Amino acid sequence: MFTRTDDKITTTQTSIFISSSVLGAGILTLPRSVVSAAKTPDVWLSILISGIIVILMAIVMAKLSQKFPDKTIFQYASNIAGKPLAFIISTLLLVYFIMIAGFELRVLAEVTMFFLLEGTPIWAIIIPFIWLSGYLLFGGINAIARLLQIIFPISVLVLIITYLLSLKIFDINQLRPFLGEGLLPVIHGLKSTVLIFSGFEITMFLIGHMQHPEKAIKAVVTGLGIPACIYLFTLIFVIGGLSVDAVLRSTWPTIDLLRSFEISGLFFERLEFPFLVIWTMQMFSNFTCYYYGASLGISQLIKVNIGPVILGLMPFIYLSAMIPQRSNDIFAVGDFIGWSSTVLFMIIPLPLYLIWLIRSKGLKQHV
Amino acid sequence: MWWNTFIEYFPDWKIWCQAIATMLIAIGVFIIHKYIFDWGKAKTINRQQKTNEKKTQQISGNYDIDLNNLRNDLAKNGDVNFREFRTGLRGSRAVLIFVEGMQDESQINKHVMRTLMDNKAWSSSDGYLIQSQGDAFTAYLKEKLLSVSKISEVTDLYKLEESILLGFTALLVDGMPHALLVGEPQPKVRSTDEPTSEALLRGPRVGFTEVLGENTALLRQHGQTAHLVLKMVKVGKEIERNLVIAYMDDIVNPELLKEVEDRIANIDIDFVAESGYIEQFIEDDWLSPFQQLQNTERPDRVINALLAGRIGILLDGTPFALIAPVTFSMLLQSPEDYYERWLPSTLLRSLRFFVAFLALMTPAMYISFISFHPGLIPTELAITIIETRQGVPFPSLIEVLILEISIEILREAGIRLPKPIGPAMGIVGGLIIGDAAVQAGIVSPILVISVAVTAISSFAIPMYSAGITLRMLRFAGMLFAAVLGMFGTILFFLFICSHLTKLKSFGVPYVTPITPYRFSDWKDVILRAPIPLMKSRPIMMKTQNKKRKS
Repeated sequence: MFTRTDDKITTTQTSIFISSSVLGAGILTLPRSVVSAAKTPDVWLSILISGIIVILMAIVMAKLSQKFPDKTIFQYASNIAGKPLAFIISTLLLVYFIMIAGFELRVLAEVTMFFLLEGTPIWAIIIPFIWLSGYLLFGGINAIARLLQIIFPISVLVLIITYLLSLKIFDINQLRPFLGEGLLPVIHGLKSTVLIFSGFEITMFLIGHMQHPEKAIKAVVTGLGIPACIYLFTLIFVIGGLSVDAVLRSTWPTIDLLRSFEISGLFFERLEFPFLVIWTMQMFSNFTCYYYGASLGISQLIKVNIGPVILGLMPFIYLSAMIPQRSNDIFAVGDFIGWSSTVLFMIIPLPLYLIWLIRSKGLKQHV
Repeated sequence: MWWNTFIEYFPDWKIWCQAIATMLIAIGVFIIHKYIFDWGKAKTINRQQKTNEKKTQQISGNYDIDLNNLRNDLAKNGDVNFREFRTGLRGSRAVLIFVEGMQDESQINKHVMRTLMDNKAWSSSDGYLIQSQGDAFTAYLKEKLLSVSKISEVTDLYKLEESILLGFTALLVDGMPHALLVGEPQPKVRSTDEPTSEALLRGPRVGFTEVLGENTALLRQHGQTAHLVLKMVKVGKEIERNLVIAYMDDIVNPELLKEVEDRIANIDIDFVAESGYIEQFIEDDWLSPFQQLQNTERPDRVINALLAGRIGILLDGTPFALIAPVTFSMLLQSPEDYYERWLPSTLLRSLRFFVAFLALMTPAMYISFISFHPGLIPTELAITIIETRQGVPFPSLIEVLILEISIEILREAGIRLPKPIGPAMGIVGGLIIGDAAVQAGIVSPILVISVAVTAISSFAIPMYSAGITLRMLRFAGMLFAAVLGMFGTILFFLFICSHLTKLKSFGVPYVTPITPYRFSDWKDVILRAPIPLMKSRPIMMKTQNKKRKS
């Protein structure tokens, strides 16, 4: 076939899809939420552990999806659990995607209003973003994957460069003492570090779009491994640069880190600007992943074209971004999303996988 | 109680209105876009068999009747000449009919007229053949007398008249049953100059001309292989023109070839004046600002494209050939990249990517920095800029627009200026107006620098038409920046990226091979790998024959 008409993406694209969906607002919110939960510099250990937990969770999802090639969770759920239950599951997942999309959008708007566009009404930031993302969604999963592939390497590169430049104020003593308060705070930190990985549920519909579903595990592991590393670096550099106390006092510690030193000799004296530019682009890909997940889910659930769904979802996403009223509400929503991520895992892929095991292996049914 | 929380967080009516407006405006734009797109899209016409209702009338074989018929039909054209004479030895009457200036006169004089009129040519040893009639006489003329390479017999009167008007020379001899066409039309040819639109320092100095036969000959000369296929089709309803689809039959993907052929067969217009017509008929998305076929005057470029599995389209009457499909990176490449060594080529290519970015984004960045985020540029520079801008009464958008539009006017005027005064006007326009505008306090000097950088950058792009695209889009970028500052600029960049990732040229995504990652194709995007390392053809073209070298 010269002209591809199927919606299949390569293994690399799948990895980048997953990475982009995880790598979003967390870069800015992570240090504060983790440090305030654990109050020790050892939280980077929490992120390592939670990264491994999340990868294991994602592997379960990938394994489950592999049993049903070319099908997404919205389609194969009814094969396993029957129509009514599948409907409930899919609806939960859709609400979850719309919620995350709104949350990411809101964080973006808050940061942009705070650092770039003071006094601009919030709708002027959110609405064009939704439109632009909707425009991209009409290109289908291939166009989205191609765009993510353009943005993702640039984001990672700029992130790494900015972090490396922050070595100027990096002080290893800020990260000490190692395990000074024992392992308990690390476990406390786990809760909020698992949260930042929320969104990897898109794995459950992505595997169905893979050209080579047999490589799903590899895609998932790299797809989550990269953001786990980036989050790890973020934590180490932010705490090492600012100290635990300063992180606790700041709303956006990562940006404060970049604002706290100047590089002379470059065109930009402060690195927060290139960082924000890249972060905005990364937020675009991040938001697009969820927007696409929600649109795809609805269109497959009620069997309509994806076009009208994309347009019809716009007000819901806007509302979901606008419901929090104060910045504390936003963080509360963020915590809620993280919490529901864990719950969703408990009630969707795990039971489905067990039911599938029982039905196919135990009862020898053809599922 | 929970409902209190619910009521507290229930969005107020303003937000509801905004939410609904978000959707309605998007739906509106979607519908309008779809409507316009369908309206302008070339409809796939039901190709009816061309009605062959052409009149036919046999040539009678009677010299007087035929000559009379021809005179009646053709005499209204003042440029049709009838040269009557008598043949030598045999003494029959004969006539040469031709259109003024379309044939090679010396050839006709020397090999047709002189032979026929000269007694010596009618060698007496041929005896009875000289006086023969009918087909034997025609055969005698063709085989023994007329030393012309292109000769053909015509039996139909209307066909004969058409051929005469197309530039063939017709010969009628008393006693010959049909007419003969001797010699081909000789179109006016200019020499193969170096193409002006794509000048190179190193590389062949030939370009296509307006004559299709010359161009195909150039291609054959450059690509001497039996695999090079030049398929001839006709386009145009009222005036037909020859179009050549060039490809390598052992490399090209057959599906791509079929797609190109189908689209060309669907062209429905009376006359195709230039290959730009073809381009606009067969492109994928007519609303996109980006070109989906590459146009070039260089035979070496076409041959290189053919070897990569692409397809060339040559039209009679224009030196511009088309290459399909095209990807974004091709627009930033020059054939010279392959002729120079790999290090300078690689550097030049990365420079061009940077230059394309500058041409697109500089004015937008200027606006967003000056109007929205002066704090983000180094303090000393910010102070200087603000000082110099103090006398400027306009917001930065108007300031930039004034200068950008005057640059566009200068460029447009520059094309039409006669050669001797062109450079002089460039100095007057560029230097004096720029300097005077600063002195007059209309624009700031920093802006003059950024506009100059933009203008020069857009000309550093090897494809002229790609340069236009970027120059056009930068105005959109300026509007985005004027409304939302840096955020708007980012949105604009994402918008362009989204559009590029959605765009396809003949089924090939426009951004390949940058994404999806095809590392083996990356050797020829920004990096131009050393030739010995370029072992395979681009994977994206899905060619039949993958290897360039063993």
